[in-house]
Amino acid sequence: MKGSAKPRARRRAAERRRIAGRATLLQAAWNYETLQAIGFAWALLPGLERLYPDPRERARRVLDRLEVFNSNPYLATIGLGVALRLEEEVARGAAGAERRQARLLKALCGSLGALGDRLFWAGWRPALGLAAAVLALATSSPWPAVAFVIAYNVLAQGVRWRGVRAGFAGGAGVARVLQDPFWARASAAAGTAGAVGAGAALGAGAVWAYGFGGGEVRAGIFLLLVALLWLAGLRIGSGDRRLSPVLAFWTVLILLSALFRLIPVLP
Amino acid sequence: MSAGEVGLLILLGAVAFLDQWPAVQTMASRPLVTGTLAGWVLGAPGEGALWGAVFEAVYLGMLPIGAARYPDAGLAGLVGTAVALEGESAGVAPAGLAVAAGALAGLLGDRVSGFHRRWNGRTAARVRERVSAGDPSAIGRGIAGALARGAVLGAAAAAVALAIGLAGLTALTGTPWSGPLPIAWVRLAGVAAAAVAGLALFARAERGLVALGAGAACGAALARLAGAP
Repeated sequence: MKGSAKPRARRRAAERRRIAGRATLLQAAWNYETLQAIGFAWALLPGLERLYPDPRERARRVLDRLEVFNSNPYLATIGLGVALRLEEEVARGAAGAERRQARLLKALCGSLGALGDRLFWAGWRPALGLAAAVLALATSSPWPAVAFVIAYNVLAQGVRWRGVRAGFAGGAGVARVLQDPFWARASAAAGTAGAVGAGAALGAGAVWAYGFGGGEVRAGIFLLLVALLWLAGLRIGSGDRRLSPVLAFWTVLILLSALFRLIPVLP
Repeated sequence: MSAGEVGLLILLGAVAFLDQWPAVQTMASRPLVTGTLAGWVLGAPGEGALWGAVFEAVYLGMLPIGAARYPDAGLAGLVGTAVALEGESAGVAPAGLAVAAGALAGLLGDRVSGFHRRWNGRTAARVRERVSAGDPSAIGRGIAGALARGAVLGAAAAAVALAIGLAGLTALTGTPWSGPLPIAWVRLAGVAAAAVAGLALFARAERGLVALGAGAACGAALARLAGAP
Protein backbone atom coordinates (compact mmCIF):
# COMPACT_ATOMS: atom_id res chain seq x y z
CA MET A 1 0.00 0.00 0.00
CA LYS A 2 2.72 2.42 1.11
CA GLY A 3 4.79 1.64 -1.97
CA SER A 4 1.96 2.57 -4.38
CA ALA A 5 0.94 5.71 -2.46
CA LYS A 6 4.28 7.45 -3.05
CA PRO A 7 4.34 7.13 -6.85
CA ARG A 8 0.68 8.22 -6.92
CA ALA A 9 1.51 11.33 -4.87
CA ARG A 10 4.39 12.06 -7.24
CA ARG A 11 2.09 11.64 -10.25
CA ARG A 12 -0.42 14.03 -8.69
CA ALA A 13 2.32 16.58 -7.95
CA ALA A 14 3.53 16.27 -11.56
CA GLU A 15 -0.05 16.76 -12.76
CA ARG A 16 -0.39 19.95 -10.69
CA ARG A 17 2.90 21.23 -12.11
CA ARG A 18 1.63 20.56 -15.66
CA ILE A 19 -1.54 22.48 -14.88
CA ALA A 20 0.45 25.41 -13.47
CA GLY A 21 2.74 25.33 -16.51
CA ARG A 22 -0.24 25.40 -18.88
CA ALA A 23 -1.72 28.27 -16.87
CA THR A 24 1.03 30.51 -18.28
CA LEU A 25 -1.05 30.42 -21.51
CA LEU A 26 -4.34 31.08 -19.71
CA GLN A 27 -5.00 34.17 -21.85
CA ALA A 28 -3.63 32.84 -25.15
CA ALA A 29 -7.13 32.70 -26.66
CA TRP A 30 -8.67 35.50 -24.52
CA ASN A 31 -11.80 36.81 -26.25
CA TYR A 32 -14.76 39.07 -25.50
CA GLU A 33 -17.27 36.19 -25.33
CA THR A 34 -15.75 33.56 -23.02
CA LEU A 35 -12.78 35.62 -21.71
CA GLN A 36 -10.15 33.20 -20.28
CA ALA A 37 -12.33 30.07 -20.52
CA ILE A 38 -10.40 28.30 -23.31
CA GLY A 39 -7.08 28.74 -21.50
CA PHE A 40 -8.67 27.62 -18.23
CA ALA A 41 -10.08 24.44 -19.81
CA TRP A 42 -6.76 23.66 -21.55
CA ALA A 43 -4.82 24.11 -18.30
CA LEU A 44 -7.22 21.78 -16.47
CA LEU A 45 -7.03 19.10 -19.19
CA PRO A 46 -4.25 16.96 -17.59
CA GLY A 47 -6.50 16.46 -14.55
CA LEU A 48 -9.56 15.73 -16.69
CA GLU A 49 -7.58 13.16 -18.72
CA ARG A 50 -6.85 11.25 -15.49
CA LEU A 51 -10.40 11.49 -14.19
CA TYR A 52 -12.19 10.75 -17.47
CA PRO A 53 -10.28 8.27 -19.67
CA ASP A 54 -13.26 8.14 -22.06
CA PRO A 55 -12.83 11.07 -24.55
CA ARG A 56 -16.61 11.59 -24.91
CA GLU A 57 -17.18 11.92 -21.18
CA ARG A 58 -14.10 14.13 -20.94
CA ALA A 59 -15.42 16.33 -23.78
CA ARG A 60 -18.70 16.74 -21.88
CA ARG A 61 -16.86 17.95 -18.78
CA VAL A 62 -14.57 20.21 -20.85
CA LEU A 63 -17.67 21.86 -22.36
CA ASP A 64 -18.71 23.02 -18.89
CA ARG A 65 -15.37 24.78 -18.49
CA LEU A 66 -15.72 26.53 -21.86
CA GLU A 67 -18.57 28.76 -20.64
CA VAL A 68 -17.00 31.91 -19.13
CA PHE A 69 -14.05 32.41 -16.81
CA ASN A 70 -12.08 35.54 -16.00
CA SER A 71 -9.68 36.29 -13.21
CA ASN A 72 -6.25 37.70 -12.55
CA PRO A 73 -3.85 35.60 -14.68
CA TYR A 74 -1.43 34.87 -11.82
CA LEU A 75 -4.04 33.98 -9.21
CA ALA A 76 -6.19 31.96 -11.61
CA THR A 77 -4.14 28.89 -10.68
CA ILE A 78 -5.91 28.90 -7.30
CA GLY A 79 -9.18 28.57 -9.23
CA LEU A 80 -7.63 25.73 -11.27
CA GLY A 81 -6.70 23.89 -8.06
CA VAL A 82 -10.23 24.31 -6.69
CA ALA A 83 -11.75 23.17 -10.00
CA LEU A 84 -9.55 20.04 -10.00
CA ARG A 85 -10.42 19.18 -6.41
CA LEU A 86 -14.16 19.54 -7.06
CA GLU A 87 -13.84 17.72 -10.38
CA GLU A 88 -12.62 14.70 -8.42
CA GLU A 89 -15.87 14.88 -6.43
CA VAL A 90 -17.86 15.13 -9.68
CA ALA A 91 -16.02 12.10 -11.08
CA ARG A 92 -16.77 10.17 -7.87
CA GLY A 93 -20.45 11.02 -8.38
CA ALA A 94 -20.86 13.12 -5.19
CA ALA A 95 -24.35 14.62 -4.94
CA GLY A 96 -24.54 18.29 -6.08
CA ALA A 97 -20.79 18.45 -6.84
CA GLU A 98 -21.27 19.83 -10.37
CA ARG A 99 -23.54 22.63 -9.15
CA ARG A 100 -21.17 23.41 -6.25
CA GLN A 101 -18.22 23.60 -8.60
CA ALA A 102 -19.97 25.96 -11.02
CA ARG A 103 -21.11 28.23 -8.18
CA LEU A 104 -17.70 28.35 -6.53
CA LEU A 105 -15.80 29.07 -9.77
CA LYS A 106 -18.20 31.91 -10.55
CA ALA A 107 -17.60 33.41 -7.11
CA LEU A 108 -13.84 32.93 -7.43
CA CYS A 109 -13.69 34.94 -10.69
CA GLY A 110 -14.54 38.14 -8.82
CA SER A 111 -12.53 37.59 -5.66
CA LEU A 112 -9.35 36.29 -7.35
CA GLY A 113 -9.61 39.09 -9.91
CA ALA A 114 -9.93 41.82 -7.30
CA LEU A 115 -7.17 40.38 -5.11
CA GLY A 116 -4.76 39.89 -8.01
CA ASP A 117 -5.47 43.26 -9.61
CA ARG A 118 -4.76 45.05 -6.33
CA LEU A 119 -1.63 43.03 -5.64
CA PHE A 120 -0.06 42.90 -9.10
CA TRP A 121 -1.55 45.47 -11.51
CA ALA A 122 -2.06 48.31 -9.03
CA GLY A 123 0.66 47.24 -6.57
CA TRP A 124 3.87 45.46 -7.42
CA ARG A 125 4.06 46.17 -11.14
CA PRO A 126 3.94 49.97 -10.87
CA ALA A 127 5.96 49.99 -7.62
CA LEU A 128 8.82 47.94 -9.06
CA GLY A 129 8.53 49.65 -12.45
CA LEU A 130 8.80 53.05 -10.78
CA ALA A 131 11.85 52.07 -8.73
CA ALA A 132 13.54 50.49 -11.77
CA ALA A 133 12.72 53.50 -13.98
CA VAL A 134 14.21 55.95 -11.45
CA LEU A 135 17.35 53.79 -11.19
CA ALA A 136 17.64 53.52 -14.98
CA LEU A 137 17.17 57.29 -15.34
CA ALA A 138 19.88 57.84 -12.72
CA THR A 139 22.42 55.39 -14.07
CA SER A 140 21.63 54.85 -17.80
CA SER A 141 22.29 51.19 -17.11
CA PRO A 142 20.37 48.17 -18.45
CA TRP A 143 20.62 46.39 -15.09
CA PRO A 144 17.54 48.01 -13.47
CA ALA A 145 15.43 46.45 -16.27
CA VAL A 146 16.93 43.02 -15.53
CA ALA A 147 16.36 43.46 -11.79
CA PHE A 148 12.75 44.56 -12.42
CA VAL A 149 11.93 41.44 -14.43
CA ILE A 150 13.56 39.12 -11.88
CA ALA A 151 11.97 40.77 -8.83
CA TYR A 152 8.49 40.88 -10.38
CA ASN A 153 8.59 37.27 -11.49
CA VAL A 154 9.82 35.92 -8.17
CA LEU A 155 6.49 37.07 -6.74
CA ALA A 156 4.14 36.69 -9.72
CA GLN A 157 5.33 33.34 -11.07
CA GLY A 158 5.84 32.10 -7.51
CA VAL A 159 2.16 32.76 -6.75
CA ARG A 160 1.20 31.17 -10.08
CA TRP A 161 3.19 27.97 -9.42
CA ARG A 162 1.96 27.56 -5.83
CA GLY A 163 -1.62 28.46 -6.69
CA VAL A 164 -2.77 25.07 -8.00
CA ARG A 165 -1.53 23.31 -4.88
CA ALA A 166 -3.10 25.92 -2.57
CA GLY A 167 -6.43 25.81 -4.41
CA PHE A 168 -6.45 22.00 -4.47
CA ALA A 169 -5.69 21.82 -0.74
CA GLY A 170 -8.37 24.43 0.03
CA GLY A 171 -11.07 22.93 -2.20
CA ALA A 172 -14.50 24.24 -1.26
CA GLY A 173 -12.90 25.97 1.75
CA VAL A 174 -10.67 28.11 -0.48
CA ALA A 175 -11.89 31.26 1.29
CA ARG A 176 -9.28 30.47 3.98
CA VAL A 177 -6.52 30.80 1.36
CA LEU A 178 -7.90 34.14 0.19
CA GLN A 179 -8.18 35.45 3.77
CA ASP A 180 -4.51 34.71 4.47
CA PRO A 181 -2.82 37.88 5.83
CA PHE A 182 -0.09 37.42 3.18
CA TRP A 183 -2.24 39.14 0.53
CA ALA A 184 -2.96 42.24 2.61
CA ARG A 185 0.66 42.50 3.75
CA ALA A 186 2.00 42.10 0.20
CA SER A 187 -0.39 44.81 -1.11
CA ALA A 188 0.56 47.19 1.71
CA ALA A 189 4.26 46.55 1.08
CA ALA A 190 3.78 47.36 -2.62
CA GLY A 191 2.10 50.65 -1.67
CA THR A 192 4.97 51.59 0.64
CA ALA A 193 7.57 50.61 -1.98
CA GLY A 194 5.71 52.70 -4.56
CA ALA A 195 5.63 55.73 -2.25
CA VAL A 196 9.39 55.34 -1.65
CA GLY A 197 9.86 55.21 -5.45
CA ALA A 198 7.79 58.38 -5.95
CA GLY A 199 9.79 60.15 -3.24
CA ALA A 200 13.04 58.95 -4.83
CA ALA A 201 11.99 60.42 -8.17
CA LEU A 202 11.23 63.78 -6.54
CA GLY A 203 14.48 63.79 -4.55
CA ALA A 204 16.65 62.76 -7.51
CA GLY A 205 14.95 65.26 -9.80
CA ALA A 206 15.42 68.11 -7.32
CA VAL A 207 19.14 67.33 -6.85
CA TRP A 208 19.75 67.04 -10.60
CA ALA A 209 17.85 70.21 -11.31
CA TYR A 210 19.45 72.32 -8.60
CA GLY A 211 22.68 70.69 -7.58
CA PHE A 212 24.65 70.45 -10.81
CA GLY A 213 25.08 74.00 -11.98
CA GLY A 214 21.51 74.57 -13.06
CA GLY A 215 20.55 76.63 -10.02
CA GLU A 216 17.16 78.17 -9.49
CA VAL A 217 16.17 78.32 -13.18
CA ARG A 218 16.57 74.61 -13.74
CA ALA A 219 15.01 73.74 -10.36
CA GLY A 220 12.08 76.00 -11.25
CA ILE A 221 11.65 74.28 -14.61
CA PHE A 222 11.67 70.86 -12.91
CA LEU A 223 8.98 71.94 -10.44
CA LEU A 224 7.00 73.42 -13.33
CA LEU A 225 7.27 70.08 -15.18
CA VAL A 226 5.93 68.23 -12.13
CA ALA A 227 3.10 70.74 -11.72
CA LEU A 228 2.16 70.67 -15.42
CA LEU A 229 2.15 66.87 -15.58
CA TRP A 230 0.12 66.69 -12.36
CA LEU A 231 -2.43 69.20 -13.63
CA ALA A 232 -2.63 67.49 -17.03
CA GLY A 233 -3.15 64.13 -15.38
CA LEU A 234 -5.76 65.22 -12.89
CA ARG A 235 -7.47 68.43 -13.92
CA ILE A 236 -7.32 69.16 -17.64
CA GLY A 237 -10.30 68.00 -19.67
CA SER A 238 -13.98 68.42 -19.06
CA GLY A 239 -15.58 66.89 -15.97
CA ASP A 240 -13.52 64.11 -14.48
CA ARG A 241 -11.69 63.30 -17.73
CA ARG A 242 -7.92 63.13 -17.68
CA LEU A 243 -5.58 64.14 -20.44
CA SER A 244 -3.76 61.02 -21.58
CA PRO A 245 -0.40 60.85 -19.75
CA VAL A 246 1.34 60.30 -23.08
CA LEU A 247 -0.23 63.41 -24.60
CA ALA A 248 0.58 65.39 -21.45
CA PHE A 249 4.22 64.26 -21.53
CA TRP A 250 4.53 64.98 -25.26
CA THR A 251 3.10 68.48 -24.76
CA VAL A 252 5.57 69.12 -21.96
CA LEU A 253 8.49 67.97 -24.16
CA ILE A 254 7.37 70.20 -27.02
CA LEU A 255 7.09 73.14 -24.60
CA LEU A 256 10.59 72.41 -23.31
CA SER A 257 11.93 72.15 -26.87
CA ALA A 258 10.33 75.49 -27.73
CA LEU A 259 11.86 76.99 -24.57
CA PHE A 260 15.28 75.80 -25.68
CA ARG A 261 14.78 77.32 -29.12
CA LEU A 262 13.78 80.65 -27.57
CA ILE A 263 16.43 80.66 -24.79
CA PRO A 264 19.34 78.52 -26.07
CA VAL A 265 21.57 79.49 -23.09
CA LEU A 266 19.39 77.62 -20.59
CA PRO A 267 21.52 75.55 -18.20
CA MET B 1 19.63 50.91 -39.17
CA SER B 2 20.56 47.62 -40.86
CA ALA B 3 18.09 45.01 -42.12
CA GLY B 4 19.27 42.64 -39.36
CA GLU B 5 18.55 45.26 -36.70
CA VAL B 6 15.09 45.92 -38.15
CA GLY B 7 14.43 42.15 -38.18
CA LEU B 8 15.49 41.82 -34.53
CA LEU B 9 13.29 44.77 -33.52
CA ILE B 10 10.29 43.20 -35.30
CA LEU B 11 10.98 39.87 -33.57
CA LEU B 12 11.15 41.75 -30.29
CA GLY B 13 7.78 43.33 -31.13
CA ALA B 14 6.27 39.86 -31.60
CA VAL B 15 7.65 38.61 -28.27
CA ALA B 16 6.50 41.75 -26.45
CA PHE B 17 3.01 41.47 -27.96
CA LEU B 18 2.70 37.88 -26.72
CA ASP B 19 4.09 38.69 -23.29
CA GLN B 20 1.74 41.65 -22.81
CA TRP B 21 -1.34 39.46 -22.29
CA PRO B 22 -1.52 36.20 -24.30
CA ALA B 23 1.44 34.35 -22.78
CA VAL B 24 3.30 34.13 -19.44
CA GLN B 25 3.27 37.90 -18.65
CA THR B 26 6.83 38.12 -17.37
CA MET B 27 6.71 41.91 -17.90
CA ALA B 28 9.36 41.61 -20.62
CA SER B 29 6.74 43.63 -22.51
CA ARG B 30 7.12 46.68 -20.25
CA PRO B 31 8.63 49.72 -21.99
CA LEU B 32 11.61 49.72 -19.60
CA VAL B 33 12.54 46.26 -20.89
CA THR B 34 11.61 46.70 -24.58
CA GLY B 35 13.44 50.06 -24.64
CA THR B 36 16.54 48.50 -23.08
CA LEU B 37 16.42 45.60 -25.55
CA ALA B 38 15.91 47.99 -28.49
CA GLY B 39 18.98 49.89 -27.28
CA TRP B 40 20.91 46.65 -27.08
CA VAL B 41 19.89 45.74 -30.66
CA LEU B 42 20.98 49.19 -31.87
CA GLY B 43 24.29 49.06 -29.98
CA ALA B 44 23.40 51.51 -27.18
CA PRO B 45 21.92 49.57 -24.22
CA GLY B 46 22.51 52.44 -21.77
CA GLU B 47 20.67 55.00 -23.90
CA GLY B 48 17.99 52.40 -24.59
CA ALA B 49 17.52 51.88 -20.85
CA LEU B 50 17.18 55.64 -20.37
CA TRP B 51 14.53 55.99 -23.07
CA GLY B 52 12.82 52.83 -21.86
CA ALA B 53 12.67 54.34 -18.38
CA VAL B 54 11.13 57.52 -19.80
CA PHE B 55 8.38 55.49 -21.50
CA GLU B 56 7.94 53.34 -18.37
CA ALA B 57 7.32 56.53 -16.36
CA VAL B 58 4.80 57.80 -18.90
CA TYR B 59 2.83 54.52 -19.06
CA LEU B 60 3.19 53.64 -15.35
CA GLY B 61 -0.31 54.74 -14.36
CA MET B 62 -2.16 52.90 -17.13
CA LEU B 63 -3.37 49.80 -15.31
CA PRO B 64 -5.04 46.76 -16.94
CA ILE B 65 -7.85 46.65 -14.41
CA GLY B 66 -11.45 45.68 -15.16
CA ALA B 67 -12.61 46.42 -18.70
CA ALA B 68 -10.04 49.19 -19.19
CA ARG B 69 -8.50 49.54 -22.64
CA TYR B 70 -4.89 50.59 -22.58
CA PRO B 71 -2.21 51.31 -25.18
CA ASP B 72 0.48 48.75 -25.96
CA ALA B 73 3.17 50.25 -23.71
CA GLY B 74 5.80 47.69 -24.76
CA LEU B 75 5.47 48.54 -28.44
CA ALA B 76 5.51 52.26 -27.56
CA GLY B 77 8.78 51.79 -25.65
CA LEU B 78 10.30 49.73 -28.46
CA VAL B 79 9.41 52.09 -31.33
CA GLY B 80 9.95 55.33 -29.36
CA THR B 81 13.40 54.19 -28.25
CA ALA B 82 14.35 53.01 -31.77
CA VAL B 83 13.32 56.39 -33.25
CA ALA B 84 15.19 58.31 -30.51
CA LEU B 85 18.41 56.30 -30.95
CA GLU B 86 18.24 56.37 -34.75
CA GLY B 87 17.76 60.15 -34.61
CA GLU B 88 20.65 60.60 -32.18
CA SER B 89 22.95 58.59 -34.44
CA ALA B 90 21.90 60.90 -37.30
CA GLY B 91 22.93 63.92 -35.20
CA VAL B 92 19.51 65.21 -34.12
CA ALA B 93 17.72 65.03 -30.76
CA PRO B 94 14.22 63.88 -31.71
CA ALA B 95 12.65 63.84 -28.23
CA GLY B 96 9.21 65.10 -29.28
CA LEU B 97 9.15 62.86 -32.36
CA ALA B 98 10.27 59.80 -30.36
CA VAL B 99 7.43 60.27 -27.84
CA ALA B 100 4.91 60.91 -30.65
CA ALA B 101 6.09 57.78 -32.51
CA GLY B 102 5.87 55.78 -29.28
CA ALA B 103 2.36 57.08 -28.59
CA LEU B 104 1.20 56.15 -32.10
CA ALA B 105 2.77 52.70 -31.76
CA GLY B 106 0.95 52.23 -28.44
CA LEU B 107 -2.41 53.10 -30.02
CA LEU B 108 -1.73 50.82 -32.99
CA GLY B 109 -0.85 47.99 -30.60
CA ASP B 110 -4.15 48.51 -28.76
CA ARG B 111 -6.09 48.29 -32.05
CA VAL B 112 -4.23 45.12 -33.03
CA SER B 113 -4.96 43.62 -29.60
CA GLY B 114 -8.68 44.31 -30.06
CA PHE B 115 -8.60 42.68 -33.51
CA HIS B 116 -6.75 39.66 -32.11
CA ARG B 117 -9.29 39.28 -29.29
CA ARG B 118 -12.22 39.42 -31.71
CA TRP B 119 -10.54 36.78 -33.89
CA ASN B 120 -10.04 34.67 -30.74
CA GLY B 121 -13.82 34.86 -30.28
CA ARG B 122 -14.30 33.06 -33.59
CA THR B 123 -11.65 30.52 -32.55
CA ALA B 124 -13.52 29.97 -29.26
CA ALA B 125 -16.76 29.24 -31.15
CA ARG B 126 -15.01 26.71 -33.42
CA VAL B 127 -13.29 25.03 -30.47
CA ARG B 128 -16.64 24.70 -28.70
CA GLU B 129 -18.19 23.06 -31.76
CA ARG B 130 -15.39 20.50 -32.00
CA VAL B 131 -15.43 19.73 -28.29
CA SER B 132 -19.22 19.27 -28.54
CA ALA B 133 -18.53 16.73 -31.29
CA GLY B 134 -16.37 14.75 -28.81
CA ASP B 135 -12.88 16.10 -29.58
CA PRO B 136 -11.42 17.73 -26.41
CA SER B 137 -7.97 18.03 -28.03
CA ALA B 138 -9.37 20.83 -30.23
CA ILE B 139 -8.63 23.20 -27.32
CA GLY B 140 -4.88 22.67 -27.69
CA ARG B 141 -5.04 23.40 -31.42
CA GLY B 142 -7.09 26.54 -30.72
CA ILE B 143 -4.49 27.77 -28.20
CA ALA B 144 -1.58 27.05 -30.59
CA GLY B 145 -3.36 28.85 -33.44
CA ALA B 146 -4.11 31.88 -31.27
CA LEU B 147 -0.47 32.11 -30.15
CA ALA B 148 0.86 31.86 -33.71
CA ARG B 149 -1.62 34.52 -34.84
CA GLY B 150 -0.60 36.76 -31.92
CA ALA B 151 3.07 36.46 -32.87
CA VAL B 152 2.36 37.38 -36.49
CA LEU B 153 0.11 40.31 -35.50
CA GLY B 154 2.67 41.58 -32.97
CA ALA B 155 5.43 41.44 -35.57
CA ALA B 156 3.24 43.19 -38.14
CA ALA B 157 2.30 45.94 -35.65
CA ALA B 158 5.98 46.47 -34.78
CA ALA B 159 6.95 46.61 -38.48
CA VAL B 160 4.24 49.15 -39.34
CA ALA B 161 4.94 51.32 -36.26
CA LEU B 162 8.70 51.27 -36.93
CA ALA B 163 8.14 52.21 -40.57
CA ILE B 164 5.92 55.16 -39.56
CA GLY B 165 8.37 56.29 -36.86
CA LEU B 166 11.43 56.12 -39.11
CA ALA B 167 9.57 57.81 -41.99
CA GLY B 168 8.61 60.56 -39.55
CA LEU B 169 12.26 60.90 -38.55
CA THR B 170 13.29 61.37 -42.18
CA ALA B 171 10.49 63.85 -42.88
CA LEU B 172 10.77 65.96 -39.75
CA THR B 173 14.51 66.12 -39.18
CA GLY B 174 15.51 69.74 -38.87
CA THR B 175 12.07 70.95 -37.74
CA PRO B 176 11.21 71.86 -34.11
CA TRP B 177 9.54 68.44 -33.79
CA SER B 178 12.92 66.75 -33.97
CA GLY B 179 14.58 68.67 -31.14
CA PRO B 180 16.64 70.43 -29.97
CA LEU B 181 16.17 69.10 -26.44
CA PRO B 182 19.37 67.85 -24.74
CA ILE B 183 19.13 64.33 -23.31
CA ALA B 184 19.67 65.68 -19.75
CA TRP B 185 16.34 67.48 -20.03
CA VAL B 186 14.60 64.42 -21.42
CA ARG B 187 15.90 62.56 -18.38
CA LEU B 188 14.61 65.28 -16.05
CA ALA B 189 11.20 65.23 -17.76
CA GLY B 190 11.18 61.43 -17.34
CA VAL B 191 11.94 61.80 -13.63
CA ALA B 192 9.13 64.36 -13.31
CA ALA B 193 6.71 61.97 -15.06
CA ALA B 194 7.80 59.13 -12.75
CA ALA B 195 7.29 61.33 -9.69
CA VAL B 196 3.82 62.43 -10.80
CA ALA B 197 2.70 58.87 -11.66
CA GLY B 198 4.12 57.58 -8.38
CA LEU B 199 2.39 60.31 -6.35
CA ALA B 200 -0.94 59.67 -8.10
CA LEU B 201 -0.70 55.92 -7.47
CA PHE B 202 0.93 55.66 -4.06
CA ALA B 203 0.69 58.92 -2.07
CA ARG B 204 -2.31 57.54 -0.17
CA ALA B 205 -0.58 54.27 0.72
CA GLU B 206 -0.22 53.20 4.33
CA ARG B 207 2.50 55.40 5.92
CA GLY B 208 2.73 57.06 2.49
CA LEU B 209 4.13 60.39 3.71
CA VAL B 210 6.90 58.72 5.73
CA ALA B 211 7.76 56.51 2.75
CA LEU B 212 7.75 59.54 0.43
CA GLY B 213 10.16 61.38 2.73
CA ALA B 214 12.46 58.37 3.02
CA GLY B 215 12.33 57.91 -0.75
CA ALA B 216 13.16 61.58 -1.36
CA ALA B 217 16.27 61.25 0.84
CA CYS B 218 17.31 58.05 -0.98
CA GLY B 219 16.69 59.63 -4.38
CA ALA B 220 18.72 62.71 -3.50
CA ALA B 221 21.59 60.53 -2.28
CA LEU B 222 21.38 58.39 -5.42
CA ALA B 223 21.47 61.47 -7.65
CA ARG B 224 24.54 62.77 -5.76
CA LEU B 225 26.27 59.41 -6.17
CA ALA B 226 25.31 59.07 -9.85
CA GLY B 227 26.57 62.59 -10.59
CA ALA B 228 25.31 65.12 -13.10
CA PRO B 229 22.80 63.74 -15.61
